[in-house]
Amino acid sequence: MKILIADDEVLSRRLLEKTLERAGYEVSAVENGRLAVEQLNQPHGPRLALLDWVMPELDGPGVCREVRKHQEQSYVYMVLLTSKESKEDIVAGLESGADDYLTKPFNVEELKARLRTGERVLHLEGRLVEAREQMRFKATHDALTCIWNRGVIMDLLGRELSRSQRESGCTIMLLGDVDHFKSVNDTYGHPVGDEVLQEIARRLLLSIRSYDFVGRYGGEEFLIVLNNCKPQFAEARAEEIRKAVGSRPIETGNGSLQVTMSFGLLLSHDWGVRPVEELLHEVDSALYAAKAAGRNCIKFAKPEVSAEKAPPVLRETTGPRI
Amino acid sequence: MQEAKDLTAAASVNLPELLAPVDNDRELLRDLLSIFAEEFPRYLLALQEAVAHEDAEQVATVSHTLKGMLSNLAVTKAAASVGQLEQQARVGDQSSLMQAFVAFERDVQGLLPEMETYMAEAHP
Repeated sequence: MKILIADDEVLSRRLLEKTLERAGYEVSAVENGRLAVEQLNQPHGPRLALLDWVMPELDGPGVCREVRKHQEQSYVYMVLLTSKESKEDIVAGLESGADDYLTKPFNVEELKARLRTGERVLHLEGRLVEAREQMRFKATHDALTCIWNRGVIMDLLGRELSRSQRESGCTIMLLGDVDHFKSVNDTYGHPVGDEVLQEIARRLLLSIRSYDFVGRYGGEEFLIVLNNCKPQFAEARAEEIRKAVGSRPIETGNGSLQVTMSFGLLLSHDWGVRPVEELLHEVDSALYAAKAAGRNCIKFAKPEVSAEKAPPVLRETTGPRI
Repeated sequence: MQEAKDLTAAASVNLPELLAPVDNDRELLRDLLSIFAEEFPRYLLALQEAVAHEDAEQVATVSHTLKGMLSNLAVTKAAASVGQLEQQARVGDQSSLMQAFVAFERDVQGLLPEMETYMAEAHP
């Protein structure tokens, strides 16, 4: 485990360095408080620190205060080394954010024992963070495909539409539906259907840029949000994505299956300021038109076109698209 | 020779106490003693100057560092006397700084030759 020693006195620093190396730590040592803060605030910096109380530039309690300001980073367990023994000093040291203190000259076994306490605290913190991250992932991702779930992709869409309105840009909405998915489930069973959805999600994810979004919108429906796009390239981008899904068979436990998708496409700048729900309704109509046109294709949602060719279709009144 | 013997008694260093914090690592001990031999005269001079100029803040800072060094090397008596000097400097008792410094100087007289002896003894 990495540990930082901050002590301006070279003899003490050398003694600590050697003692801790012998105890199996990966030691780095600095001679003042400012350098200690720099190291401890690095993303992969040490999470265990031994800080001398009296140091140039910034004293030990000052280091603790600076490090505690950065709450977003991993917890750093800090032990103050001090020859101050008054209760007031100790209280002040702990109030600054230190976790523990050790009186100098230190006893080697006591030092090691206190550092082991620190390691236990950090280990526990690591497990809590891991559990929190797992919960956060489950709350935001689709359990089957591991892409954004419906709630998150809708939030991201709303955010991107607002941004493109604000910046006079254009967001592309692509609503895709797997063609004949019901027959995949009926013919090969739901486990194979699940494999197909997982692979499609993977292909969609690989076909977009790192700052675009893809989420599972419904059963076999996927919503893709392409940010800050040039409208003239929208169709080509959508075609690339469609081909990324259908260009080669999907290998499943029941053999390889040729699967395609149909897409509705909407350019936000064609529609001015509209509620998200309304735009979703329009792109859904375009998707419906793509299905009607023979599937495995893309249809645009245009204000004038959508009114004529694809009248609003309420989702509840239509049967499942296959 | 007589002088060296007296000074050794004043400094009160003992090898087992020195070896305990370094886990009987004689090489490390030699390393620490050599750092001390290099650093100590510099700090002592800085302390002397700070006392002469009645610079209480500097006296406190240097005394604190010396206290740490001496404690680490188990030179307890001298560590206590420089700790006393630090304390007096921190409370701003300038009148007694020189007196406390003289007491500290007495406690560290002969310390360096004594350390050199230990460096020789600590040779692996």
